[in-house]
Amino acid sequence: MQEVAVLGVGMHRFGKTGDAVVGTKSVTELCRHAINEALRDAGANWRDIQAVAAASSRFSGGKGWGLNGNDVVEDLGSTGIPVYNMSAGCAAGGNAFNVGYSLVAGGVYDMVLVVGGEVMPKGMIQTSGVEEATDPEFLRQRCVGMPGPSFWSTLARRRMHDFGTTEEQFSRITVKARACSVHNPNSRFQKAITIEDVLGSPYVSNPLRLFQICPVSNGAAAAIICSAEKARQFTTHPVTVASSAVATMTFDDMLPRGLADPVTREDNLHTEVRNAVRSAFDKASMGPQDVSFIELQDNTCYYELAFPEEWGFCEPGEAQRLMDDGETTPDGRLPINPSGGFVSFGEATTAMGVFQIAELTWQLRGQAGGRQVPNAKVGLAQTNGLGGNATAAILKK
Amino acid sequence: MSEQRVPCVAGLFSETDGKAVVHGSRCTSCNTPYFPKTSHCHNPGCDESNVEDYDFGGKGVLWSYSVADFPPPPPHKYDEPFKPYVIGVVDLDAGLRMVGQMIDPLEAVQIGAQVELVIDTLYHEDGKAHTSWKFKQLQN
Ligand SMILES: [Zn+2]
Repeated sequence: MQEVAVLGVGMHRFGKTGDAVVGTKSVTELCRHAINEALRDAGANWRDIQAVAAASSRFSGGKGWGLNGNDVVEDLGSTGIPVYNMSAGCAAGGNAFNVGYSLVAGGVYDMVLVVGGEVMPKGMIQTSGVEEATDPEFLRQRCVGMPGPSFWSTLARRRMHDFGTTEEQFSRITVKARACSVHNPNSRFQKAITIEDVLGSPYVSNPLRLFQICPVSNGAAAAIICSAEKARQFTTHPVTVASSAVATMTFDDMLPRGLADPVTREDNLHTEVRNAVRSAFDKASMGPQDVSFIELQDNTCYYELAFPEEWGFCEPGEAQRLMDDGETTPDGRLPINPSGGFVSFGEATTAMGVFQIAELTWQLRGQAGGRQVPNAKVGLAQTNGLGGNATAAILKK
Repeated sequence: MSEQRVPCVAGLFSETDGKAVVHGSRCTSCNTPYFPKTSHCHNPGCDESNVEDYDFGGKGVLWSYSVADFPPPPPHKYDEPFKPYVIGVVDLDAGLRMVGQMIDPLEAVQIGAQVELVIDTLYHEDGKAHTSWKFKQLQN
C-alpha cells in the first residue's frame, strides 16, 4: 500500500434548477466546472489523469445507465482512460472516493479523478419507481406511505422520548449550520437565520420542519488524488488520506427501513455507518480523540446529535449538551459540519461524498476562511445511502 | 349496503372474523421472523435456512411515530382532500419491528403505548375501499 494524497479539489456552487447559480446547467457542465477547478488547484492537466472514479446517478446524465464518468471523459477529452462508475445511492460519492483511493493506494494508478455531480428532480425523492409487489420500497409507499422525511422524523421523535431533545435544540443546529454557510461560497444557502425562522417553517413531517431537513440541490464536486510520492512533485505540504472505508449494514440493524425487520437485542440504528466509521478508525489506527472536526451526512439536523453518539464521540444523549454549549461550532471542541452541511447545501446526492473531501482538504490546508476550524489536523467525512451503504474517510495534514 | 373492501396489494395481509394478520415467514432453525414473505433465511448466523409461512398480528409496543404532513409522492395513494396521518413504528410481540399508519390522531399517540394490528381503509378507487394494515392504540 502506498500513501495517498488529495492534490486538488473543486466544486460548482450548489443551487436549484432555474436559479442564478445553476440555472439550466447540465450535470456535465456542473462537473466540468468542478473538475477544472480541481485540476487548477492541483496544478495538474487533464492528460495527467490516469483513471476516473465517478459517482453514478439515477437522476441525471450518465446516458440513463449511471455512466456519469463516461460523460465526464467524453466532455473533457476522450483519452481512453479507464472509468469506474460507482452506484451506492447517497453514498455514491464516498464510494467513488474509496475506489479511487484504493486504486492509488494499491499502486494501480498514480493519479485519479474522483467526481460526483447531480441535477435533481423537484420535490421529495421518489425511491424505486417500480410498481411491483416484489419490491419492498413499492410496498412501503403503497401500503403505508412513508417518505424520507417521515422516516427521519420517527428517529427524531424517538430521540425526543429517550433524551428529552427539544424542537428548539433541533432548530439551533440549523441556526449553527447556516451561520457556517455564510462563510462558504459554494453553499446554496449563505444567509444566517434565527431560531424563530426555523420554528416558523412548516412541519414537513412532525416533529421535523422544512428548515431542519435538507432540500435537493444541483451541484458537483471533484478531487484529484495521487500517490503521496507524486504529490511531492507538486506541493511540499500535501493533505493525505489516513484511511478510507466502505461498509454495509449488518443483520442486527433495527432501523425501520422496509416494512418490518426482526427485533434484535440491541437497538442498533445505522449499522452500516457505524461499521464504516469503525473501519476507517481501525485502518488509520485512530479514534475519536484524534479527530479535529467532522463532516457528516445531515439529511436532517437530527444526525448532528445521533451520529457522534453512535460513533463513540460522546455518550448517548450527550450530543445536545455539546451543541448547546457551542462545542460543535468551528471554534468548539468537536466542530461538526463547518461547511454548513447538507442542511445548507441541499443534497446533490452523488456529489456529497466528494464535496466532503473538498471541505476536509480546505480545512486541513487552512483555506476555509470564516468557517475555518482553528488548527485542524485530522478530519472525518461520512456518507450513507439507500441499500445500507456507508462510507467514511479520514484526511490529515 | 356496506362498501366492498379489497386489499391495496393482494396476498400481503387478511382479516378473518375481525382478526387481522399479515402473511410473512419464519425460519424454524433460528426463529427469525420476516415480513413480507421470504424464500430463505437472511440471518448470516443461521446454518440452515428452514423457512415456513407464518402469520403475524396481535399486539405490540409503539417504538416511535411521525406524521405525513404532506401527501407522499406516488406510488402512495390517498383520498382527496389529503389528511395528514400518523405513521407508527411498532415492535410486535411476535418479534418484528414494523411500520404502518396509525388509526389514532397525533394528539393521542404515545411512545410505549400498547397497540394492535388492524385492517383499515387506505383509499377509495373504482367504488371500492382499498385496505392496508394499520395500528390502533389500546386503552390502558
Ligand atoms: Zn434462519
